[in-house]
Amino acid sequence: MFEVVIGLEVHVQLNTKTKLFCSCPTSFNHRQNSNTCPTCLALPGALPVLNKAVVEKSVMFGTAVNATVNRTSYFDRKSYFYPDSPSAYQITQLYTPIVEHGALQIDFEDGTHKVIRINRAHIEADAGKNIHEGDVSKVDLNRAGTPLLEIVSEPDMRSSEEVILYLKKLHAIVRYLDISDANMQEGSFRVDVNVSIRPKGDEKLYTRVEIKNINSFRFIQKAIEIEVARQIEAWEDGVYDEEIYQETRLFDQARQETRSMRGKEEAADYRYFPEPDLLKVVVDDAMYATFSKIPELPDEKRKRFVDAYGMNEYNASVITSSLEMAHYFEAMMQEGISAKNATTWLSVELQGRFGGEVNIENSPVNAKTLGTLVKRIEDQTLSGKAAKEVLDYLMEHDEDVDAVIDKLGLKQVSDTGAIEQLVNEILAANPDKVQEYHNGKEKLFGFFVGQVMKASKGSANPQAVNDILKSKLS
Amino acid sequence: MTINNDLLIRLEKLSYLEVQDDKRSEIIEQLNEIVSFVENLSELNTDNVSDTFAMTTASTPLRDDTPACNSHIPEDIIKHAPKSADSFFIVPKIIE
Repeated sequence: MFEVVIGLEVHVQLNTKTKLFCSCPTSFNHRQNSNTCPTCLALPGALPVLNKAVVEKSVMFGTAVNATVNRTSYFDRKSYFYPDSPSAYQITQLYTPIVEHGALQIDFEDGTHKVIRINRAHIEADAGKNIHEGDVSKVDLNRAGTPLLEIVSEPDMRSSEEVILYLKKLHAIVRYLDISDANMQEGSFRVDVNVSIRPKGDEKLYTRVEIKNINSFRFIQKAIEIEVARQIEAWEDGVYDEEIYQETRLFDQARQETRSMRGKEEAADYRYFPEPDLLKVVVDDAMYATFSKIPELPDEKRKRFVDAYGMNEYNASVITSSLEMAHYFEAMMQEGISAKNATTWLSVELQGRFGGEVNIENSPVNAKTLGTLVKRIEDQTLSGKAAKEVLDYLMEHDEDVDAVIDKLGLKQVSDTGAIEQLVNEILAANPDKVQEYHNGKEKLFGFFVGQVMKASKGSANPQAVNDILKSKLS
Repeated sequence: MTINNDLLIRLEKLSYLEVQDDKRSEIIEQLNEIVSFVENLSELNTDNVSDTFAMTTASTPLRDDTPACNSHIPEDIIKHAPKSADSFFIVPKIIE
């Protein structure tokens, strides 16, 4: 039996307004090379000046994962030659990163937890983009020099399930702190996976293989499965030492395989050394006091939801997994409804109606409206079934909940007098069935309920119908 | 450290440069001279100096996160690039 050992490197693009070392805007979709200057184009003599907001967001992250924030850290220069980096080096933090020794708790569905250690988080500059076209490559350096926080875990994960839980938690933390857009498809939350295998019970770490280029949670799971299978097969065929060596492989979505990026004989040589253009980074007491004040995190919010609203752990973690969901939920609760109903109508009914471009952030039905709708179920104005119809209508029309209920004629009849009259009519029309019921065929109760509901065109309050029928038939 | 032909081949790969055969011995000699020049620094005893030693105790200045952009500067730079088209820098095809 083999055990899978996984560590992750996540590049989080910090959502600052300007680049790491110059005042060029970080906004994308601008004309190629328009957000560049002598510094990010590496013209001789142009010097880097560190963006304060990058330090702030890094300290926030370090605080959120209970890490050591190094009050003095350093930049290092990593040399590599490629057209996406006009300086032919990347400024990063190899020897003393700003954040070290953190931890992140992952939560399993059965209520158990596991702590994944975070080795470090360091600041570094992103590269530009190359577009390959015919026999040339076109270089756009708008992204060159954008700040990244690279978050490196210890090899503490033992399955792709743990990897996904870790990534979802990390993603939620980053979003709660609002230090990054963390959009996987757009590349602001990039995941590199380090995978190795070992016989179960073995404490040694074997050769790790790094997989790059995976841009969705689903593909991460797939890429890990494929790479683990490759390594196990090599082990079982007795060619592990020859075929598995430390290298970077790309995940090919179309072919469902991982592929070597470069041969081992061409291993890169980064010639790291302390960055001579920058002095040490010092987070002084005043800065630390300000930057380490962070908003409520997913785990705290979950705990608060459990305590304040009496929710179960699982529902609370579903709602708090995204900041937008949590905000929406809390706004719904302003309408004075039960947490259980709010959870169901948000996570099942509303989310079930999303699709395509529609999501919680641009939902056509806002939290106040959905909260009011749930309120109308709770005050017996609407049946659950009718409320679904109202929600269908509201997804297409921006109108007032109560006006829609009237317009669609879905108001539930809870007037006992009116229901009693219907019950009397149904019983009078079915004397044989009433006799059978009294002779012990209790299943017929459902038939009577159905008949009354049908007669009311679905508008009768089912609970009232039940109660009245029971008293009439006893 | 001695530069030999193997190391030169490695340096060529890392720098994406190609040294012509008739220039190799000359380049190897020059690189060895540069390395031995830098090796003079080893005479200095740095056992008690930390890796992060700097000539100043100052820390790096921080800049506020306020965008500033002079569009004519990148335009000017692109104009001076060896090859450009449609505001892109153009380089020889990169094979991934």
